[in-house]
Amino acid sequence: MVERDLRMFLQYKFLLIMRGIWFVAQITLFGLVVNTMVQTAATEVGINYFQYYVAGVTIITLYSTAMFIGYDIFEEAEHGVFEYLLTLPVSRRELVLGRSIGGGLRSFVYVGPLLLVVLLILGVSNPFYLLVALASMFLFAFGVSGMSITIAVAMKSGDKYDILIGVLDALIVRLSTTMYPTLYMQRAMPAYAAIANFNPLTYASDLFRWGTGVEGALQFNPLVAVLALFIFFFSFTFVGVVFYERRLEGGSWE
Amino acid sequence: MKVKAIWHVIEYDFTNFFRYRWFIAGLIAMNLADLFISAIVFTQMTTIVDYFRFFAPGLAVVGLFASAFMIGREINMEVRREIHHYLLSLPMTRNELAIGRVLAGGLRGMLYMTPLLITNFIFLRLPTLPQLSLILLALFLLAIGISGVSISIAVSTNSFEKFVTARGVVYYLLFFCSSVFYPLSVIQILNTSGLGPLVTFAQINPLTNGSDLIRSFLLDSPEYVFSPLMLLNVAVFSAVFALLGTYAYAKILQRH
Repeated sequence: MVERDLRMFLQYKFLLIMRGIWFVAQITLFGLVVNTMVQTAATEVGINYFQYYVAGVTIITLYSTAMFIGYDIFEEAEHGVFEYLLTLPVSRRELVLGRSIGGGLRSFVYVGPLLLVVLLILGVSNPFYLLVALASMFLFAFGVSGMSITIAVAMKSGDKYDILIGVLDALIVRLSTTMYPTLYMQRAMPAYAAIANFNPLTYASDLFRWGTGVEGALQFNPLVAVLALFIFFFSFTFVGVVFYERRLEGGSWE
Repeated sequence: MKVKAIWHVIEYDFTNFFRYRWFIAGLIAMNLADLFISAIVFTQMTTIVDYFRFFAPGLAVVGLFASAFMIGREINMEVRREIHHYLLSLPMTRNELAIGRVLAGGLRGMLYMTPLLITNFIFLRLPTLPQLSLILLALFLLAIGISGVSISIAVSTNSFEKFVTARGVVYYLLFFCSSVFYPLSVIQILNTSGLGPLVTFAQINPLTNGSDLIRSFLLDSPEYVFSPLMLLNVAVFSAVFALLGTYAYAKILQRH
């Protein structure tokens, strides 16, 4: 299953190129311009906003690519490939675990080249920290992939899925530290900062910044951040398995 | 060309629009998250502008774009599910069908954008009647152009995934390279990074002209002054992409 999902993903050359443009546009346009606007704030918290944003956008890209597995599920349901998958000599559990791992892995394959560019921009201060951060990002990507599968199978409707993902994307990205430091969320509205403390994107982006040395000190103890991402991965992968197993058959896909 | 036939198509698309109540609710949630989360946080981070007030007019353009783009999403779905064969069999010409769809996309955008524009009037200020007319005219032209872009993409992509990705790329290029999120004066910084063509693109971007036109009437700032060129820019964009969308829909659809 993992191999199939990876192979399918690499067939989407058009999508990969388009998403690459998307990533570059975010860094070169939004990152550079906003960097100019927030110079005073960046100095206040001792960060280079451009680097801060580049690290954050890497996590946003990883998140949105891992979420894409849900669209694949709808394409398969629409073209009747789902029924074919069900006839394969693999258990339902193996099927969904494979898909979850495949979804996470392929997002990493996709982010890989972009990650190299990002590391060239950010540099690496401590290789061990970076390895810890990358391992945590793996967990994060698998977790997001499991979450995407869970939502897709729970909805069984491409339209509803697209809507929910849009709303979730709007909230989960904005209420995290991917784009701005917690201090400013706290000043704007303490509730935003409180929600951000439970957001997996906050943990993933803070760990990545810590791994690359963009931020000297983490808001959370790295162990707490890694543990939070592990819980996220574990919950959604296994919730995804249960949902997928229960709702897989019986059609009713819209 | 029969106006009645075009009207029927617009009616059909409006009925579909209200069927997507949840999609509209989702869009509103996304737009409000932009205004009441990101804009408020960035207001704390920047001293260049009062970001909340600056971004509010841009939000109306963001909403207009997202909802006018919805017509492409439906057309893409019709192509994939082969519903377009039914539409092509209706007693109207291809051009009437295509014009109806482009217009419906634009009108739906206007309808969706109205609450966001009212939010602007509440938080910024009320425009005079002539100013309101100019704002609505500019936004309507913009909506028609966006609807044309969306339809052109919808009939040229054969999967939902491709459509969603293309939508994302168009969104990011048009929005990040415009004054929707940040002032044009700040975008000039790209000149120093060797990205001068992007600055030029931002200046002629219809989204820049649309949002700055609203700002010129709603923000009491000498930086934003209305110029007829703003309206002309949006009108040219609208004419080009409405025609392209109509042509693409009428021609490409028959090949599927």
